[in-house]
Amino acid sequence: MKVGIGNISKRVGESKLWRSRTRCHIVPDRAPFESKFVDQSPWANLPPELLLDIIQRVEESETAWPARAVVVFCAAVCRSWREITKEIVKTPEQCGRLTFPISLKQPGPRESQIQCYIRRDRATSTYLLFYGLMPCKSNFLGTKFTIYDSQPPCDSIIPLTSQSNLRFHSKQVSPRLPACNYSIGTITYELNVLRARGPRRMHCVLHSIPVSAIQEGGTVPTQSAFPNSFSEQLLPLTGSRGNEPVIDTSFTSLSATPVCSLGSGEPLTLKNNAPRWHEQLQCWCLNFRGRVTVASVKNFQLSATGDPSHSISLEEQEKVIIQFGKIGKDIFTMDYQYPLSAFQAFAICLSSFDTKPACE
Amino acid sequence: MASTLKKIILKSCDGKILEVEEAVAVQSQMIKNMIEDDCANEEIPLPDITGEILSMIIEYCKMHVDGENNSNNELIARDADFITRVDLNTLYYLIVAANFLNVKSLLDLTCQRVADIIKGKSPEEIRLTFNIKNDFTPEEEEEIRKKNAWAFDYKD
Repeated sequence: MKVGIGNISKRVGESKLWRSRTRCHIVPDRAPFESKFVDQSPWANLPPELLLDIIQRVEESETAWPARAVVVFCAAVCRSWREITKEIVKTPEQCGRLTFPISLKQPGPRESQIQCYIRRDRATSTYLLFYGLMPCKSNFLGTKFTIYDSQPPCDSIIPLTSQSNLRFHSKQVSPRLPACNYSIGTITYELNVLRARGPRRMHCVLHSIPVSAIQEGGTVPTQSAFPNSFSEQLLPLTGSRGNEPVIDTSFTSLSATPVCSLGSGEPLTLKNNAPRWHEQLQCWCLNFRGRVTVASVKNFQLSATGDPSHSISLEEQEKVIIQFGKIGKDIFTMDYQYPLSAFQAFAICLSSFDTKPACE
Repeated sequence: MASTLKKIILKSCDGKILEVEEAVAVQSQMIKNMIEDDCANEEIPLPDITGEILSMIIEYCKMHVDGENNSNNELIARDADFITRVDLNTLYYLIVAANFLNVKSLLDLTCQRVADIIKGKSPEEIRLTFNIKNDFTPEEEEEIRKKNAWAFDYKD
């Protein structure tokens, strides 16, 4: 009996091989394809499951920036590469890494923190967020956070920050943009009772994250792309001080219908971990696990809080969801994790800058 | 053992006939399945694989069978030596053939090689290397560039 290849059971992917209908030539570099591909090398015809395997290897091995830029580049080669790359790249919650700009809007990993830096430029009142690199390699991430403050955020899934709801100690920042702004949170700072130099209390209500996100089996709504683009959009995320809004976001397109997502359920509430008074050092101390090195009233750690009816486990309540602190002149660390996104974490940190005068 | 001496006959698409020891041939999961199904007693036609590529694959499989007792490091070194001798066009046909014949270690090796070639390259360099047509419109390309400035600005 003569058995042809066609009778052999094949893996799913193999069947696609036959569609490429490679003509058989002895010399393989003579374009062996139909006329449609005549001007391309065979690589343009690589079966998608093999291209997926290859890009997956690139993605898995390049975990740190700037090398990880190549993953973004794979998505910029051509349409088919883009489609496959976007399929491979997971959210920070799933893989612990930032890749496309949309990563900034997606929640961080559950069991580890994403470590960032914030650099302050006092002259321009600009705050730049860095990821993965020390600030000496400056503009890498910083360039994407240029200042735009005239366009409202249009975000159909996670509502964005609005100045009108970033409330600082007895100081209301008025919204500059009347429409299309969403509250992601309210941050309140309280001075201690004696109004002395001492730790302040911080209270942060995140309207865009339900408290159920940190209950067992809970999830947080996650955006997979920016709206109104053939592709994902960059989020120009900017913080500025002075008369301008503290946090502002902008998108190049304006037509999305704003929807506030957190339908039912109570918002997640964070409060700062109380520092303890160190008798010998005569100062307030918090354990930042080496990530914060300079004492500052701005340093903080936030953990989830809630009343017993929210059934937040003790473990969750002890977990530091975001920590922020000074490591040098105008350099700060920002470490965050699930359920916060980089965007939300950055917003919370910027509020700490703004309240400084009120607390000293 | 008698079974290891059994020869499997493979026929490439350009009519080249290769006799391969069964122990070498079964590095291909596909051929192994055929043998188990008793379908490998006559020549096996491989309509998409040229004689040149088939010879390389057999060379690779033989290297792995012969090197079974070698240390892992030695095998890795041999793999590296094998793969770096392969030019880019041949690499493509090796991948496709390794996938079809289901030679897992060779598929891993070839895919990893391509991944390594991609690393550190800009989109344009990737296109040039693999001769892939840019099918984005200029507007789309500009948008991708702009929206992903954090990657592109660093590269520039």
